[in-house]
Amino acid sequence: MPGFDLQLLLHGQYHDWLVAGLVVSIKLAALTIACALPLAIVIALLRLSPYRALQWLGASYVEVVRNVPLIAHLLFWYFGAPELLPDSLKERLYAGNYEFVAAAIGLTLYAASFMAENIRSGIRAIPAVQFEAARALGLGYLAAMRRVVLPQALRVTVPPLLSQVVILWNDTSIATVIGVAELMHQAASVESAVFRSAEAFGFATLSYLIGSLALTAVATAIHRRWPVRTL
Amino acid sequence: MRNRLRPLLAAFFAVTALVSAAHADQLDDIRKKGELIVGVLGTDEPNSFVDPASRELVGYEVDLAKAIAAKIGVKPVFKQIAVAARIPELQQGRVDLLAASLTHNKEREAQVDFSLTTFVTGQKVIVKTSSGIADVPQLAGKKVLTVKGGTQEANVRKAVPNVDVVTFETTQQAFQALQQGKGAGYVNDEATLIDDMAKLGPAKKDYRILPTNLSVEPLALGIRKGEPALKKVVDDTLAGLEKSGEAEKVFMKWYGPTTKLQFDKRSFKIDSDKI
Repeated sequence: MPGFDLQLLLHGQYHDWLVAGLVVSIKLAALTIACALPLAIVIALLRLSPYRALQWLGASYVEVVRNVPLIAHLLFWYFGAPELLPDSLKERLYAGNYEFVAAAIGLTLYAASFMAENIRSGIRAIPAVQFEAARALGLGYLAAMRRVVLPQALRVTVPPLLSQVVILWNDTSIATVIGVAELMHQAASVESAVFRSAEAFGFATLSYLIGSLALTAVATAIHRRWPVRTL
Repeated sequence: MRNRLRPLLAAFFAVTALVSAAHADQLDDIRKKGELIVGVLGTDEPNSFVDPASRELVGYEVDLAKAIAAKIGVKPVFKQIAVAARIPELQQGRVDLLAASLTHNKEREAQVDFSLTTFVTGQKVIVKTSSGIADVPQLAGKKVLTVKGGTQEANVRKAVPNVDVVTFETTQQAFQALQQGKGAGYVNDEATLIDDMAKLGPAKKDYRILPTNLSVEPLALGIRKGEPALKKVVDDTLAGLEKSGEAEKVFMKWYGPTTKLQFDKRSFKIDSDKI
């Protein structure tokens, strides 16, 4: 096997492929994080709500979604779910970039189930007296959550949420199974075009590593700016 | 999970490949261990697939590999591998020989050696009849589907410059996506396409294979680079099969008129390793 060809990664067609893949991975991760976080908060609140039916709804979501492997989710959202739609809607979906859409849906729902549990733990870490005091001062259930409990809970949740976000970033690589042209997919394409496995996967590995470290840096900054406040 | 491990593996094997390049003659090793390890796809009717009745791995390429093992005087051991893993598996020495619908092209000559050409196929495109697409140029700007790790993606891009290609882990997934309407066409070797069409049954009439070849693909067995002794045995065996008429018989057994593929004649001879 010839030596490591750095030029391949710096210029030309294969460089463009890999960079295009990296951009798709970043977009996929960003979109998924943006959608999964609010969804996770809603699910956590469902599980903690005073109503049995809502608790049950939140709990079943978490258990059903997180206990099935991500690859099965993606294959389901790509090959399975859209087949249930009426033909006209299906055609419109498929005319666009449905690979990306299916990956974003699958990843969002999957990541949200884990994040919801982190957030729920965070909320439970805030002493119940805080919530009771807020209610006693006349705040409603949602207002007490939003103004008193959640701001503290989210601070507590930053470290475990960071782990979830890093996992999510790395999990975007699984979208290759439904044909999303993300980084891992492009690295595999470069490999099959020129058999430069070390270069292609070296680029991908380094990109995932840098991405993960950048996320860690952001989380550390958030943690420093909004530290955990305890009673 | 496997995907996340691959970069590490690739880096690891880049190193081990350097080490194993200094290894002794592979043919001697094969004789010493008494077995020829052959990498096959195993899901690629009629080249290599599991016969549902006997549950044995059978096929055109399997028969060729068996003949080569018999010539060396060792037992053939078949190992199933993925399309994209073929060349790495060979380079890393985990298989001795590739019999895995491997296209012989110039780019790959730098990576592996090829035996005499064992099969010639064209790559073509299947579309739904309802799409109204009559030939390859009409795929411009449309989405086509195929498998990762082969020559299909590069060939269709060359034939239709502004086509959008989506690739999957297996040919079956790509074909499934076509049936669901997720793309306008599905690209593969003609022999595989005919086989896929046959599996559709009566729904076959809703699909058509476009007439123009995207490329002509000479398929050959893959041998690790720099193993002239092994290559000689492989080529001699194949040339011998051609001379004795056995090659014709094996072709007809898997591709002939009594098979699903229904080729009425063989359009090539196993006599050259030049492309």
